[in-house]
Amino acid sequence: MSKLMRFAAAAAFSLVSLTGLDAAPAVNQPAPGFTATTAKGETLSLEDLAGKTVILEWTNHLCPFVGKHYGSGNMQALQQEMTEKDIVWLQVISSAPGKQGYVEGPEAIVLNKGRSARPSGTLLDPAGTLGRAYAALVTPQMYIIDPQGSLLYTGGIDSIPSANPADIPSATNYVREAMTAIEAGKPVPNPVTRAYGCTVKYAPSS
Amino acid sequence: MLGLKALVALMILSLLAGPSLAAQSETAGTERVQVRLLSDRAGVVPGKAFTLALEQNIVPGWHTYWLNPGDSGLPTEIDWQLPEGARAGPILWPHPHRFDVGPITNYGFSDRVALLSEIVPPENLQPGDSFPIRAQVRWLVCEEICIPEEAELALTLPAVATLGEAVQHPALEAARSDIPVASPWASVTRQAGERVELHLDLPPATLDSVIEAAFFPDAWGQILHSGEQRLWTGQSGLVLSLEPDTGFDPSRTPLRGVLVLTERLADGSESHRALTLEAKIEQGAMSTATATEAGGTLSALPLGTAARFSDVGFLPALLFALLGGIVLNLMPCVFPVLSIKILSLSQQLGGDRRHMRRHGFVYTLGVLVSFAAVGGLLLSLRAGGEALGWGFQFQSPTFVLLMALLFFALGLMLSGVFSLGSALIGIGAGLGDKPGLSGSFFTGVLATLAATPCTAPFMGAAIGFAVTASPPLAMAVFLSLGLGLALPYLLLTLMPQALRWLPKPGAWMERLKQLLAFPLFGAAIWLVWVLALQSGADGVLAVLAAMLVLAFAAWLFQATRGLKRTGRLAATASAVLLLLASVFAAPGLLPARTTAVASAVSDGSIESKPFSPERVAALRAEGQPVFVNFTAAWCITCLVNEEIAFRDEEVARAFADAEVTYLKADWTNRDPVIAEALAAYGRSGVPLYLLYPAGGGEAAVLPQILTVGGVLEALQAASNRPPLRQAGAMQ
Repeated sequence: MSKLMRFAAAAAFSLVSLTGLDAAPAVNQPAPGFTATTAKGETLSLEDLAGKTVILEWTNHLCPFVGKHYGSGNMQALQQEMTEKDIVWLQVISSAPGKQGYVEGPEAIVLNKGRSARPSGTLLDPAGTLGRAYAALVTPQMYIIDPQGSLLYTGGIDSIPSANPADIPSATNYVREAMTAIEAGKPVPNPVTRAYGCTVKYAPSS
Repeated sequence: MLGLKALVALMILSLLAGPSLAAQSETAGTERVQVRLLSDRAGVVPGKAFTLALEQNIVPGWHTYWLNPGDSGLPTEIDWQLPEGARAGPILWPHPHRFDVGPITNYGFSDRVALLSEIVPPENLQPGDSFPIRAQVRWLVCEEICIPEEAELALTLPAVATLGEAVQHPALEAARSDIPVASPWASVTRQAGERVELHLDLPPATLDSVIEAAFFPDAWGQILHSGEQRLWTGQSGLVLSLEPDTGFDPSRTPLRGVLVLTERLADGSESHRALTLEAKIEQGAMSTATATEAGGTLSALPLGTAARFSDVGFLPALLFALLGGIVLNLMPCVFPVLSIKILSLSQQLGGDRRHMRRHGFVYTLGVLVSFAAVGGLLLSLRAGGEALGWGFQFQSPTFVLLMALLFFALGLMLSGVFSLGSALIGIGAGLGDKPGLSGSFFTGVLATLAATPCTAPFMGAAIGFAVTASPPLAMAVFLSLGLGLALPYLLLTLMPQALRWLPKPGAWMERLKQLLAFPLFGAAIWLVWVLALQSGADGVLAVLAAMLVLAFAAWLFQATRGLKRTGRLAATASAVLLLLASVFAAPGLLPARTTAVASAVSDGSIESKPFSPERVAALRAEGQPVFVNFTAAWCITCLVNEEIAFRDEEVARAFADAEVTYLKADWTNRDPVIAEALAAYGRSGVPLYLLYPAGGGEAAVLPQILTVGGVLEALQAASNRPPLRQAGAMQ
C-alpha cells in the first residue's frame, strides 16, 4: 500500500511542480542543493560540504551596502571569526556579465586579496541559478546551513539598514547572533530577517 | 512694536519676487537627484503648523524609495534641525509606484516627488524673528545600481503674526493629492487557498469605474512584493488576490498598507485614488465565494491585473469547472481509461474522419450524460434532505465492489486473457448496431465514474459552489465540468493533425495495451483496499471471490473460441452466467451493516481522535489548537496529502510541540454530521483541512494540496509560541 501511495505521491508532486513557483527557501528545511564553479575554477556542490556548517554571502563589490561592511572591515572580521571555527564561508556573486559586480574568477580572487577578505571560497553564479534557487534579493544577503544541510538562517547581515558604516557598532549582527545560538544548541533567535542592500544584478530571466 | 516687525517682514517679503519664490531653499543634491525644501507659507506663526516639502527631482530611469522600499532599497530620511521648541512630524508619504527589476520589486518614486512634513514652530517665537530650518536628507537612488546620497538643505522663514495664504505650488498640490486618505469603505481579508484576498466594500458606482488596483503593504513580511495581484470586481465589492509572504497569517495580523485604485472617469480620463487601510480577517462563516479559491491556485488562468470577474458569478464558476474537468484527465484514476481511448484513436489513424469525429462526440455525450446523471442524483437527493457530497457513490460498498470488478475485467481484457472482437473497449460492444460507438459512449461513462473520487484540488470549490447554488445553475456547472473532462479527447478527434504526434500503429500497440492493464489492476487493488475499510475482511473475500469467477469466465470465453458454433455458444453462455453470478452475488456477500472502520489511513506517529463537532467545540473552549482532517479512503488527493505531509516525522513532532489535537473526520462511509461540517465551509467533498489556532479564533483553511513546509508553518502560526518570523529589522 505504502509503495502505491508513494507512487501516487510522486505523480501528484510532479503535477504540482509543473505549476509551482520558485519560493524563498524556508528555515529548518533542507537548503536548496547546488553545484557551482569557484573563483579558482573548481566545482563545488553543497553535498561536498555535508558535515560542515556553511555560510553563504551574496556579494557585489561595487554595491555601497557591501562597501559599508568591507570598507569598515566588518565582513572580513566576521569571515575570519567563522572560518577559524572550521565553518565554510562562501561568497556568491550572481551579477550577470555586463552588470554591476560581475567578475571573472581571477578578478574575484584579486579583489578579496586587496581587501583582506577571508572567505573559504567564492562561487561564481553569472546565470543567477544559485541566486534564484535561494531567492537572494540583495547584496549583502546571508544564509546559514547546518552540517545536515538544513537552512538555519536567511536574511541580512545586521539589524540597521543603512549604507553608513557608523551604524555597524550599534547594530545586532544577525550572523554572529545566529551562530552563537547554534553553537549553544539553542534555536536561532531571528531565523528570518529582512536583508537590506542593493538588488542582485541578475541576468534577465529567460 | 509687533506691528512694526511684521511690517518690516512684509516689506522684505515684497522685495523678494513674490511669496512662492521666497518659500523655498536653494537646490542641492547630485547629478541624479536634485533636492530642495518648499514651504507652503511665506511666513510662520508661533504654534501654528505649516507644511514643508522635500522635493526630489530624479533623472529618468532612476528611482528613490517609499516607506516600505520593497525587496531592496531604503526609504528617504530627513533629519530636521529646528530651533528649540519646534516640532517636525513624520513624512506624509504619497502613494508609491511599483518598479520591477528582474525578479525583484521595489516601491518608490521616479521623476519628481515631494515628501511633506508638518512643522510646528515654538509658541515663544516672536513675529519678526526668523525661523531657520536645516534638513539633513539621506536617500538611496537606484537605476540598476544603487547609490546612497545625501544633502543638507537650509531655509529661513520669517515669523509673522497671522498665517498668510497658502503658497500655490504645483509640487505641493501634487504631493497633497497623492497622499493616501483613510479608506471610507470597510475592508477585510480572506484566506483563499494559498493566497490572501483583500475585499473592499466599494459602492457599485465607484466599482464600475475601477480599472486597476494595486496594494502596497506598509511593511515587509506581509505579501510578496513581486507577487502578482489579481483583481476581481463583483456585486460584493472589489477583491484583490495577493500572494502572502511565507509566515504571514492574515488571521493573526491585519493587512496594512495603501491601496491605489485607478479609475476611468466618464470623460475617458484616468484618475488615482489612494487609500490607507488595515484589513482584518473576515469574521463569521466562510462565504460561498470559495470559487475564487480555484482561481487562486490555477496559474493557467489568464488573469491580468485588470481582469474583471464577477465575484461568485455564474461564468467564473463555469470556467473553474471546465478547467477542473480538464485537469481531471491527468488524475491517476482517469489517466488509464483515457490512455486506452487514445490508443483506440491512434488505431483509427488514417481512417474515416467523420467516423472519428462521431466517436469524439459520442464520448463527450457519454461523459455529459453521466455527469448529468450523477449531478442530478446528487441534487435530487440533496433536495430530499440527504447529506451527500461529491464522490458519494463511493460511499456505497456495492458500488466500490462493482468498480473493482470492472477495473479488474478491463485489465484482464487489456492483458489479453480475453478479447471482445474489434471494439477495443468491449463494454457495451454488443449493445448497439454500430460497434465501437457505444464503446465510446461507455468510455465516457467510465471516465466519469473513475474521475469522481479524484476531486481534483481545483475542482472542490467549483463543486462546492454547484451544490449550494440553485439546481439549474448547479447542473450547468456539472455539465461544464464534464465538458472539461471530455475536451482533450474531443479536440483530438476534431483535429486529426494533432493525432500525427502519436506514433504509427504497429505491434507496439499490443504491448502498450498489455502494459496499460497494470494501472487498471492497481486501481482495482486500491478499490479492494477501500472495500476492506468499508466492509472488513468479508468484503475482501466477496470481491476476491468475484474476481476469481470473473477471471475463470474470461478464460473460458477465450479458450472456447476455436470450438464449433454450438460449443462456442454454450461456453459464451456459461461465461456470461458466471459473470452475472459474480456481479450479482458478490454484493450479497458483503456484510449487511457497513460500519465505519477504525481509521482509513495511518498518520504515522500523530495520535488522532475521531471528529465530532462537540469535541471541536470543547477543545476550542479550552483554548486548545485543533486540527481537523476531513478525509476518505476513496479520496486519492487525501491519501497523497497524508502520505506526504502527515507521515513526516517533523510534522508529527510539530503537532506534539504545538500541542495541537488532531481530529480525523473519516467520510469513507456516509456521515451526515461530517457532510454538514463540510457544507459549513462551502465544500461538498474531501479533502478539507482546518486548523483552529490556540486561544480561539477562526479556523485557517489549509490548501487542498499539502506540503510538509506548509503544514509546519500553519502549525507554527496556530501554536501559542511566538511566530517564526520576526517583524523584520525595519519598522
